[in-house]
Amino acid sequence: MANSQAFKPVTISAYSAISHCGYGNAALYQALRGNRSSLAPLAVFEIPFITQVGEIYTPLPSISKDLKVYESRNAQVALAALNHPEDGVRSAIEQSKSRYGVDRIGVVLGTSTSGLYESEAAYAKFLVQHKMPDDFNFVTRHAYQATARFLQKELGLEGPCYAISTACSSSAKAIAAGQRLIVSGVCDAVLVGGVDTLCRLTLRGFKSLDLLSATQCQPMDQQRCGINIGEAGALLVLERSSETTSTKAQLLAVGESSDAYHMSSPHPEGRGAMLAMNKALQFAGLEAGDIDYLNLHATGTRINDQVEALAVYQVFNEVRCSGTKSLTGHTLGAAGALEAVIALLALQHQFIPGTANLENVDKEFNCQVIKNPIENQKLNIVMSNSFGFGGNNASLIIAGHHD
Amino acid sequence: MINSRIYIKSASACSPELNLLDAFGLSVNPIDNTLIPGAMRRRTSLTTRIAITAGTAACIQAQVDPKMLPSVFASLGGEIQVTDALCRLLPDPDALLSPTQFHNSVHNTTAGYWSILHECQAPTTAIAGIDDTFALGLLEAWTQLQVTPGDLLLVCYDESWPQYLAPPIGEQAFACAFVLSSEPDAAQAALTRPEIYRPTDPNLAPNLDPSWSKLVDSAPATAAIPLLSALSAPRSANNSLIPLNNQGAIWCTHFEAPPYANP
Repeated sequence: MANSQAFKPVTISAYSAISHCGYGNAALYQALRGNRSSLAPLAVFEIPFITQVGEIYTPLPSISKDLKVYESRNAQVALAALNHPEDGVRSAIEQSKSRYGVDRIGVVLGTSTSGLYESEAAYAKFLVQHKMPDDFNFVTRHAYQATARFLQKELGLEGPCYAISTACSSSAKAIAAGQRLIVSGVCDAVLVGGVDTLCRLTLRGFKSLDLLSATQCQPMDQQRCGINIGEAGALLVLERSSETTSTKAQLLAVGESSDAYHMSSPHPEGRGAMLAMNKALQFAGLEAGDIDYLNLHATGTRINDQVEALAVYQVFNEVRCSGTKSLTGHTLGAAGALEAVIALLALQHQFIPGTANLENVDKEFNCQVIKNPIENQKLNIVMSNSFGFGGNNASLIIAGHHD
Repeated sequence: MINSRIYIKSASACSPELNLLDAFGLSVNPIDNTLIPGAMRRRTSLTTRIAITAGTAACIQAQVDPKMLPSVFASLGGEIQVTDALCRLLPDPDALLSPTQFHNSVHNTTAGYWSILHECQAPTTAIAGIDDTFALGLLEAWTQLQVTPGDLLLVCYDESWPQYLAPPIGEQAFACAFVLSSEPDAAQAALTRPEIYRPTDPNLAPNLDPSWSKLVDSAPATAAIPLLSALSAPRSANNSLIPLNNQGAIWCTHFEAPPYANP
């Protein structure tokens, strides 16, 4: 029923990211070209075990006085991505405001824990004082939509504003929701993306599942032994495609699916992952052979990488692919948007990112995983995978700009 | 396409408080544990069980197979009790977190269990929109049906919350579910795209009943009561504007009972 689908491409007018790989697109591109993992022990707070993380070291901007009630590390990370001067996400929104009006611009952000980091500090006080501290505000800091609403107010927007929280596929699905808001005529532009910050709950939770690697993670490697968690904010401006925007990068389609198998383990045959990739191809009207590069979800756990490799082989037989979480850490709800930005940088610079820390690709994998970045490649169309708890999967397809 | 209708095939509500909606002349179902297998029942929270009860009842009523149905789960706090219990452990560096509780703390926990229970590989999403959660859940459902025609399940739910978090939010637990469709066959009513009400015609203003609004402040998913009421008496609600939230910019949908006028 491919022709009953109303998936139309939307323009990606601007994008930016802040992560362990630095602030802005140029810093991220440089880290991708260098392909050296600098994931390191956690500095921002203490945890009772050793692991490596992708912490943001860039100083974060403060939240303006009138919006202090929204202040959280999550909101600050989002504000940094919004304000990067060269990447121009904020100016793209300002242009959209004058072009379309504030009520025609939406905000959809993906997050897994929103401002939970601040709540953790509040709970520590609560357990001693038996009341939450006076500055605790669940709705404006901890609620899933808090950072999306902060950005909406910061920008003076009046369109739909919500959060999508489907664990590690959150922001890939936020991008899909943004595309739907535009193609169905609700919005002319949507600020989409994902933000997640390091917090105790996710670190200790993944530890309880035995999924954290004590050493730097090695996605797709024979020796891989778990993930490193990271934090990031990645924002993209999606806009209705028109003749004037048709030369810019385009979000073609997003395929979404459920594993319907287990809350924290992928389906062993990768059925949900395959379905997401196949749907994305179908909605975009493409064949597997049209994909020039695939950014893998590739977290570094034994089972996730194995299942993804199997699914990729079954969909593509052969495709150039790599995983970038050994550079950024697994940024959970922000990963889909961060890796969409990485896909856009691959298209912009015509290069294929590598997989840092990958020494020997697991012998059982049939898919060809790129170890070192390759420059001067002809890339027109790329895909990015995101798979989350609950068996929640999304695959994005993005086409590069052309003159 | 911009003002395309969607159609409601069924609606269902669930709460452990069986008289929660008495004042509105509406009934709610109790949690139906027979719908959830024992092993899953032991692992799932109240919030997931009220949402699954409402969702399954809506599917049965609409005679649609949940296995084939994309779904939108909308909730302000999701697994707030699970998250709260974990947060209470974190200040103790020696406390061991339960891996099951950890993966059950994600916002899409209900969506995940729903897909596992019904072996449904269709897309499912979990959204949150503070006091606009129901309105934005319906909008997300509307956009999905424009892009991918067919049937879709919308579930809006929030359980009871610890009252030190954001009182009075979470005083009562409530879930409601709707099978929505892009097609009018066998539907009870039609809805237009949810939009923010702009007061151009005061005669058309949505009715924000104060007793409803008070309940919404403490049970966010009861924002759906005006829509549930309209569905219980579609003729008298024909051609009215249904409010979908109770504060800030008011989201509305235009409600029509069959037979529908030409669009």
